[in-house]
Amino acid sequence: MAKATFKGRPAVPGSVEGSAEVSHIGFNTCATYVDVLISGTDSGVCQDHDNKDLFGHDLADKIVCIPQTIGSSSAATLFMIILDKGIAPKAMLFANHIDSLAACGILMGDNWLGKRIVTVDLLGDDFLDAVKTGDKVKVHEDGTIEVG
Amino acid sequence: MATHQLNGQIGTDPNFAHVTHTGHSRKHVKASDDHPKMKLTAEEQEIYDGKKGDVLQKAIKTVVAYGALFGADKLVDLGGAPHHAVSWGSDGVEPLLKIYRQLADAGLKTYAPFTADPKPMDPVHLPVTKAEQAAVDKIYNRMDELEELNMKLGMRSKKDWSCACYLPEMGNTPSRGDYLAWSESSAINYVNSVLGARTNRNSMGIDMLCNILGKAPRFGLLTDEGRQAVWLIEVKTSKLPHPEMIGSAIGLKVMEDVPYITGMDRFIKGVDEQSSGYLKDLGAATASNGAVGLYHMEGVTPEAVDKGRALLNEGYQTYVIDDAELDRIYASYPNLWKDKHGTPQRVFLGCPHMSYGQMVEWGNRIVDAMEKAGKDKIGCPTYMFGSQYVKDAFQQKNPEIAKKLEGYGVSIPINCPMMWCSTPVEGAELVATNSNKTRVYTTARFFFDDVLTELIVTGKLPANVA
Repeated sequence: MAKATFKGRPAVPGSVEGSAEVSHIGFNTCATYVDVLISGTDSGVCQDHDNKDLFGHDLADKIVCIPQTIGSSSAATLFMIILDKGIAPKAMLFANHIDSLAACGILMGDNWLGKRIVTVDLLGDDFLDAVKTGDKVKVHEDGTIEVG
Repeated sequence: MATHQLNGQIGTDPNFAHVTHTGHSRKHVKASDDHPKMKLTAEEQEIYDGKKGDVLQKAIKTVVAYGALFGADKLVDLGGAPHHAVSWGSDGVEPLLKIYRQLADAGLKTYAPFTADPKPMDPVHLPVTKAEQAAVDKIYNRMDELEELNMKLGMRSKKDWSCACYLPEMGNTPSRGDYLAWSESSAINYVNSVLGARTNRNSMGIDMLCNILGKAPRFGLLTDEGRQAVWLIEVKTSKLPHPEMIGSAIGLKVMEDVPYITGMDRFIKGVDEQSSGYLKDLGAATASNGAVGLYHMEGVTPEAVDKGRALLNEGYQTYVIDDAELDRIYASYPNLWKDKHGTPQRVFLGCPHMSYGQMVEWGNRIVDAMEKAGKDKIGCPTYMFGSQYVKDAFQQKNPEIAKKLEGYGVSIPINCPMMWCSTPVEGAELVATNSNKTRVYTTARFFFDDVLTELIVTGKLPANVA
């Protein structure tokens, strides 16, 4: 039985499960994937040294749980790049409302590359209080999230 | 490894604020709210169902899904002409180029000829060393490809790269009420606020897709309710405040809410050649220190002139700006120069690109100061950034000033000063600027006009600000 269940809005719906990677501060997409952007590396390891929660963690195929994305407007293309390279998270779970940069990148990846990051937003602060890095997380098509 | 001077932080969000970046706050939205689907017309539904080809189908599916996330109820037909922020061709935008290629290969064009932001470099009027140029060429190795794709997709001409495309000399000037799907935060802010056109702040990619379709999702700043102000800004300064400072203060306070500014009609009597440059710079500062897509200014901007304080929503918040508050904001600007008290290496004027009036004003200011000092060469390399159109108009209508400036060594580049500063090989330079936007996104330091004038003439900052 799940430790906790949350209901968000299925922004880009899908059913996936995996291991959680949790950031309690804004997810800086550009800083996280700065080496992918500048050096063209094929690594999903978080390079954002300001993010103590995720720095050095490989986010590929993980369930990334965040308040919201922040940072450069290059974020939209970065989502497409990491999807193209096969180093994207399996799901992005937002406590807050999704922002336009993440929305644009994830939707363009979905519609133009045929590669999906399952995305749920509006999960609330309680969600981030409950989920811990390493937790097993199950994402349902309707935006329901099972933690643990 | 080369990194951006602000660790990759170029773009819309230097403050890492939790905002939507659309220019329309969605703080009130909950998962349990009713999220109605968008209603499409029969024609739109045909495109959606793939009856007009799979490329258009992908475009409309992306735009509809995007709009739905931000509360759009339908698509609206676009007017005016588009403007796009993407102006740099690098491997970093390869996914966008791939999509552009698909659109071009399908023979699609934007609904009207579009303009785009300035290119990152101007090797003629802002040259760098051969080694730096080689590095820059490597970074922007897809510029020709971007330009070629843009031309295929409907770019107006190869001359049409400027963030201030709405100025009369360039002429991509929308009318009041036109629906647009623009990117470039400063241009969006200007056409919404000063011209009364209607566009959300669009991410790169979504802009092109909307403009290929000739339609945008109706939400936020495209709606009457989304254009209502939730902040009353009372300006109580003793004199006309510097536009960059007042804009900076407002942006930092309201982030992406709509402000209604009072107290400015003591100094500004309407939108004209003189005030348009001021309003442009004020708006750009609100859009770079915050994510403001629209401001109303009592007695000045068109919707405020028509509707007055009826534009304020019930329960609005109030922010008073006086001289002391602007001093506080200025004092909070960090000095990001590597050599914090070093001698500036360049002076950058104009970000966003200068208006004609600003170019004349700065031209006269420099000539006056140089003649007063009895000098024939500037003390610090100085650049006045503007579109090719504004530059041509300035040089044609003011040949004497233009000739003197050229003789002093003042250059008029047509590229983007902000991107120039953000390009890794340029990161170490000590740039002084009159632009809050350039300050926010790069390591450049902001100075007031009198300080910059002295720097231009003498090559040194005044002792009290160095």
